[in-house]
Amino acid sequence: MTTIALILSILLGNLSLAVGYRQGGAAGYSIWFLLLGALWLFTHFRKWYWFSSIALLVMIVAAAYGVWLGYPTVWMVLGAVGGLLGWDLSDFARRLGYAAPMDDTRTMERRHLERVGIVAALGLGLALLSIFLRFERLAFEVAVGLLILAVLGLTRLVIGLRK
Amino acid sequence: MSRSLFLSLLTYALLLAGIVTLQGEFIALALPLVSYLLIGYLQAPERIALEATRQLSIERAVPNQDVELTVTVTNAGSSIEEILINDLIPPGLNVRDKASRHLVRLASGESYTFAYTVSGPRGGYVFNGLDVQVNDHLAVRRFKVRVEAKGRLFVLPPVMRLRHIAIRPRRTRVYAGSIPARAGGTGTEFFGVREYQPGDPPHSINWRASARSVEALYSNEYQQERVADVGIVVDGRLRTNEFARGHSLFDHSVQAAASIADALLNQGNRVGLLLYSTYLGWTLPGYGRIQRERILQALANARTGDSQVFSDLEHIPTRLFPPESQIIFVSPLIDDDFKPLVQLRAQGYDVLVISPNPVKFELSYLGTSNPNVNLAGRVMHMERVLLLQKLQRANIQVLDWDVREPFDLLVKRSLSHAPAWLRAIRR
Repeated sequence: MTTIALILSILLGNLSLAVGYRQGGAAGYSIWFLLLGALWLFTHFRKWYWFSSIALLVMIVAAAYGVWLGYPTVWMVLGAVGGLLGWDLSDFARRLGYAAPMDDTRTMERRHLERVGIVAALGLGLALLSIFLRFERLAFEVAVGLLILAVLGLTRLVIGLRK
Repeated sequence: MSRSLFLSLLTYALLLAGIVTLQGEFIALALPLVSYLLIGYLQAPERIALEATRQLSIERAVPNQDVELTVTVTNAGSSIEEILINDLIPPGLNVRDKASRHLVRLASGESYTFAYTVSGPRGGYVFNGLDVQVNDHLAVRRFKVRVEAKGRLFVLPPVMRLRHIAIRPRRTRVYAGSIPARAGGTGTEFFGVREYQPGDPPHSINWRASARSVEALYSNEYQQERVADVGIVVDGRLRTNEFARGHSLFDHSVQAAASIADALLNQGNRVGLLLYSTYLGWTLPGYGRIQRERILQALANARTGDSQVFSDLEHIPTRLFPPESQIIFVSPLIDDDFKPLVQLRAQGYDVLVISPNPVKFELSYLGTSNPNVNLAGRVMHMERVLLLQKLQRANIQVLDWDVREPFDLLVKRSLSHAPAWLRAIRR
């Protein structure tokens, strides 16, 4: 179950980036995303789980680069979400490897997939909302101020939750 | 790098990119990561309170015997979505059946019980606890805790039942036992004839001796039988026990020491044990079952070792053994051991050497097809015979044990001098 979801996530992420770059006019890069996806799957089945972090980093950087170049943001966001899902499921598969044969892993898999699906849907929904919901242009100083406020607030929240 | 830190760095990098380029799309890219992190943190367990208990099917086993361990983990804190339980198995033990590592979900107040089977070689094993990793749903936060679940397992050396061990130390203790005390008194074995004294039972009168004298009657005197002090010294030096290809005679020495100690304690003697290897492992002399347990536990933990101080037998602390008591030295022996053993004998100790034969042991796995090995074996055999003869000439009793032969057969042949009452019945 997890393996199928992982394969679908990797396909979703890398195909989205490939399509996005293709639509942006950089079709030459598309093949690299397909290769990245294939390599990720290969390393996963070889149990080289550390590669999933590298793959996620590459996909986020690629999505950010695509955004910077003005390629369709929806595909870039889908690429990032696919990478995030693949990264999560790869680590989950690693953790499942510690289970004993008699452990009830099917229920755990089902619960995990439900939750990570909700998280992905929420993240994707918020991202799409932020893309399509636009306010009038703010002054540069105000925008920077709001972003710094957001970063500080997020940091404070994370520290608070860690405690 | 932890997962949460990795995701946080990516998120901050995207936010920073958004600030620098003034493009809101970067924020959109960061939002799935932010959602993931926040939900992970929000769903982390609030309070982790785990308790564990451990039960062993048996606490004393023989080498490679299966022992079942049952571990119960109870969650006294908040619900845990994912908990990886890894029971820490002491080095040396092997899991024979089922698994010692489990991945489960534990709701608040719920318990999880698992069992598995281990076995292992001789040794004392201490189970300290479980390594537990607690994760939230998304494993953003991971807590590693050690849950205490104590347990002890002794894999004791096999003990062969030996019927009777005939030793004759010069000095015995005051309590009645089975070792001839070299003194006249009540007993079963004839000791001598003395003049009749009032109170002697009539059946003790030696009529034949009395008939030769017209003035007095003579009575038979019997040898007193008492318990003795016995010190067992087990040689754990690496250079005497370890051979090529990882073969070792030490387990045979331990088995012999365990069997001898068991038999002597059963006869009522006071037995102490000295392990002579990297350090001196001294088990104080004592009687009975508790002492048997102490000695077996000490032997279970005995290991060979290499030490410059104890590389030869010069440092056997003789003050640990009562004067003129019996010392049983269990060792494969090397040439250098001759002098210290003779010194022990000269100090008045009765010394019995039980020597697992290293030459036959090594030849048994080297094979005899190679003529060079054969020749070397013969030379070593002659050297060993010479050493044993020298020891015997110094009035040290030596048992040369070919370890392919069961130890009880050797003892029966060499040391089983049946008690007098048994011999009387046999007559």
